[in-house]
Amino acid sequence: MLEIKNYSKSYREGKKAADNVSLTVESGDIFGFIGHNGAGKSTTIRAVVGVLDFTEGEILIDGHSVKDEPMECKRVTAYIPDNPDLYENLTGIQYLNFIADVFDISAEEREERIKKYADLFEITPALGDQISSYSHGMKQKVAIISALIHNPKLLVLDEPFVGLDPKATFVLKEIMHEMCDQGTAIFFSTHVLDVAEKLCNKVAIIKQGKIIASGTMEELTEGHSLEETFLETDNNEK
Amino acid sequence: MKNNILLLKTLLLSTSLVNTYKHCDDKKKKRKIVWSFIGMFIIYAMILGYSLAATLGYGAIGLTQAIPMICVLTISALAFFFTFFKTNGYLFNFKEYDMLMSLPFEAKTVAGCKFLYMYIKSLPWYLSITIAMMIGYEIFAFAPVYVLIEWLILSLLVPIIPMLIASFFGFLIARASVGFKKNNIIQTLFTFMFIIFCFSFRYILEAMFRNGNVEETLEASYEAIENAANTYLPAKWFAGAIVDGSISDALLLVGVTVLLFSVVFHIVGRSYRQINSALKSHSASKSYKMTSQKKHSVVTAIAYKEFKRMTGSTTYITNVAIGELLAVILSVVTLIFGFDSIVKVTTQNAPFDSAVLQPAIPFIIYFLVGMMASTTCSPSLEGKQYWILQSLPIRKEQIYQGKMLFNMYLTVPFMCLGVLCLCFSAKVPVINTVLYLILGSVLCAFSTAWGCACGIKHMRLDWENEVEVIKQGPAVALYMLPNMFVVMGLVVGVVFLGMRINHALLALIFIAIASLLTAVSYMRAMALAKKT
Repeated sequence: MLEIKNYSKSYREGKKAADNVSLTVESGDIFGFIGHNGAGKSTTIRAVVGVLDFTEGEILIDGHSVKDEPMECKRVTAYIPDNPDLYENLTGIQYLNFIADVFDISAEEREERIKKYADLFEITPALGDQISSYSHGMKQKVAIISALIHNPKLLVLDEPFVGLDPKATFVLKEIMHEMCDQGTAIFFSTHVLDVAEKLCNKVAIIKQGKIIASGTMEELTEGHSLEETFLETDNNEK
Repeated sequence: MKNNILLLKTLLLSTSLVNTYKHCDDKKKKRKIVWSFIGMFIIYAMILGYSLAATLGYGAIGLTQAIPMICVLTISALAFFFTFFKTNGYLFNFKEYDMLMSLPFEAKTVAGCKFLYMYIKSLPWYLSITIAMMIGYEIFAFAPVYVLIEWLILSLLVPIIPMLIASFFGFLIARASVGFKKNNIIQTLFTFMFIIFCFSFRYILEAMFRNGNVEETLEASYEAIENAANTYLPAKWFAGAIVDGSISDALLLVGVTVLLFSVVFHIVGRSYRQINSALKSHSASKSYKMTSQKKHSVVTAIAYKEFKRMTGSTTYITNVAIGELLAVILSVVTLIFGFDSIVKVTTQNAPFDSAVLQPAIPFIIYFLVGMMASTTCSPSLEGKQYWILQSLPIRKEQIYQGKMLFNMYLTVPFMCLGVLCLCFSAKVPVINTVLYLILGSVLCAFSTAWGCACGIKHMRLDWENEVEVIKQGPAVALYMLPNMFVVMGLVVGVVFLGMRINHALLALIFIAIASLLTAVSYMRAMALAKKT
C-alpha cells in the first residue's frame, strides 16, 4: 500500500533530513516509525502525505506516485499531524462536513461515521462549538474523526497518542486494530515504545535521517523488548 | 524601561525581514526578501513623489504657511484610520499573548510595546509624506536648517497622538464587547458603527459650521485649514514650532505625546488581561446533537470555510467588508436623498449636470466593493493550517476557485444593490441599468481574479499576526494601490467619454475590456496555483 524507495530530503547544503529512506507498508500492517526527536520521522511522513516536496527517491501509495499522481494518492490516504492546527473558526461539525465534502462522502455515510466515531471519542456534545474553544485533546479527536470519515486505505499518523486521554488512546488503538483487520495500512510515528510494541506488526527505526533497522516486530526484537532493541540499535550506530 | 526595550526589540526582530535574510540559507527566499524591499522602496518613492507634487501645488497657490498644518492633518488622518483598522489584531487577541503574559512583563508594558511596534512598523510610510512636504516647504519658505531638523524630529511624534486616539477607541470597543457572549461579533459591529460615525463626521462638522454662518470662512482654503488645526491642537503646535519658531509649542507637542502615551497605557494596562482573557475564551454550549447533514461540492465547501474564516476575525472582516458596508450606506443614502443631492454634496455644489456621471455608476460602486478582495489575503491566511488543504485530494486550482467563489458571493450582491439603487435614483434607462449590472459583476470577477493572482504570488504563511498579511503584505499593496488609482482615473475617463459616446455602447466596451482582463487574471491565478 505504501512504498518508500530511496527517499531523501535535503534542507540545507550537505544536511539531509531524510537520507535514502526505504520501507514498505502492506495492507493490514500497523507500521511503527520510531526515532529520536529530529531523526526525520515527520519529514518522511509529511512527504508521504504530499505536504512536503521532495526531489530524491520515490514514494508510491496504492501503486501511484506521490510526486506524479498526488490526487490519486491523497484520495486513499488520511493524515493526522502531531499538533493539528484546524480551522479554529469552524465548529467541529462544520470542519467534519468540510472534509466529508472534499472526499465526496454522501450525507448518510458521513452522518453514520461522524456519529459512530464522535460517540466513541465522547465528543458529540462539543461538535456544535467552535474548534477554538477545544482543548488540544479535543482537536486531536476531531482530526482523527476527520481522517476516518472517508474510510482511507492508508492512515498516516504523526505521534497520534500525544494529548489524548487514556480512554481516547484505548479507543484509537481499537480503531487501528479494526481498520487493520479490514485491510487498511497504518503508518505512524511514536515515541511511546510500549504502545508501538503492543500495536505494531512492523517497525522501522530512523536515526539522523537514515533507517537503521526495519522489519517485523519478531525479526527486530528477537525476544527482547522493543525498548531494549531500540537502545541497542541506537548505541550500535554511534 | 529595560523590559520595554527588550520586548520591543524582540517583537521587531521576530518579524524583521533583515533578520530572516541574515539567517536564511534559501536563496529563493532571500531573493524574495530583496524584491519586497525594492517593492516597498518604490511605493515609498511613489508616496514621496505624490506628496511633493501636492506640496508644490500648495506653495504655488500661496499656501506655504499652511503646509506644516496640512502635513500634520494628513498624517494624523491616515495614522488614525490605519491604526484603527489594525489595532484589534495588534493589541488584543494576538497569537503569542499567553507566552508574553506568562513572562515577567507588566500588562501595560506588553500593550505599550505592541503599540510602539505598530508605530515603528508604520513610521516609514508617514516619514515619506513628511519628508516630501518638508522639501516642498523649504522650496517656498527658505527655512533655516535648524527648522528642518526640528521638522524631522517633531515628525517622528506626529503620528503618535492619532495612533493613541485610534488605539484607545479600539480598546473601548474591545472593552465594551467583553461583556457579551459573542464578543467577536459585537466587536465587529461596534467597529463598523464607529467607522460609519467617522465617515459621517465630516458632514456633521460641515453642517455645524453652516449653521454657525461660517460657510464664508470655509470657502477660503487657508482659513479652513487653520480652522481644522485649531480643532486638532497637535497640528497647531507643530505649525507654531515650524512657522513661528515657538519652542513652547514644540515642547507642548512632545509633552502631550508622552503624557497621553502614559495615560492611555495606564488605562489600557488595567483591563488588558481581562479583555484578552474574554477575547481568547470562546463560548461552548456542549449541547450538540447529531442532526442530518448536507453534501456540498468541494468548491462550495471551501467557499463556506472562507466565509467562516472571515466572520471569525474582526481584523479580517473590518478590512475586507468595509467597502461592502460603504456601498450599502451609499445605496441607502442615495435612495433617500436622491442621486443629484449626493453628487452636489460630493462635488461641493460644482455646477454640472449629474447625468454625465451615470456611466461611472458601476465604477463608483466598484471603487468601494473592490477596494479589497478577500482573495488577496486568504491564501496567506491559511498560515499554519496550510497542511489541511495540501494533504487533501483537491486540485490546487480548486482551492483557489473556492476562495474566488467566496469573494464573488461577498462582492456581487453588494455591487448589484449599489448599481440598482444609484441607477434607480439617477433614473438610468432600463437597458443601461442591465448593462451596468453586467459590468459591475464583471468588475467583481476581475477584482476576485486579480486579487487571487496577487495573493498566490505573494503568499506568506509564516506570519506572527494576521494583520501582517491582511493590511501590510505585498499582495495587498500590489492589489490595492494600482486598483484604487486606476478606478479613480476610470471614473474621470468614463465621464469624459460618456459626453461623447452613447452610454450603452460605452458600457459594452468596458464589459469587453473588463472580461478580457478578468480572463487574463484568472489564467494567471490558475497558473500560479499549480506552482504552489
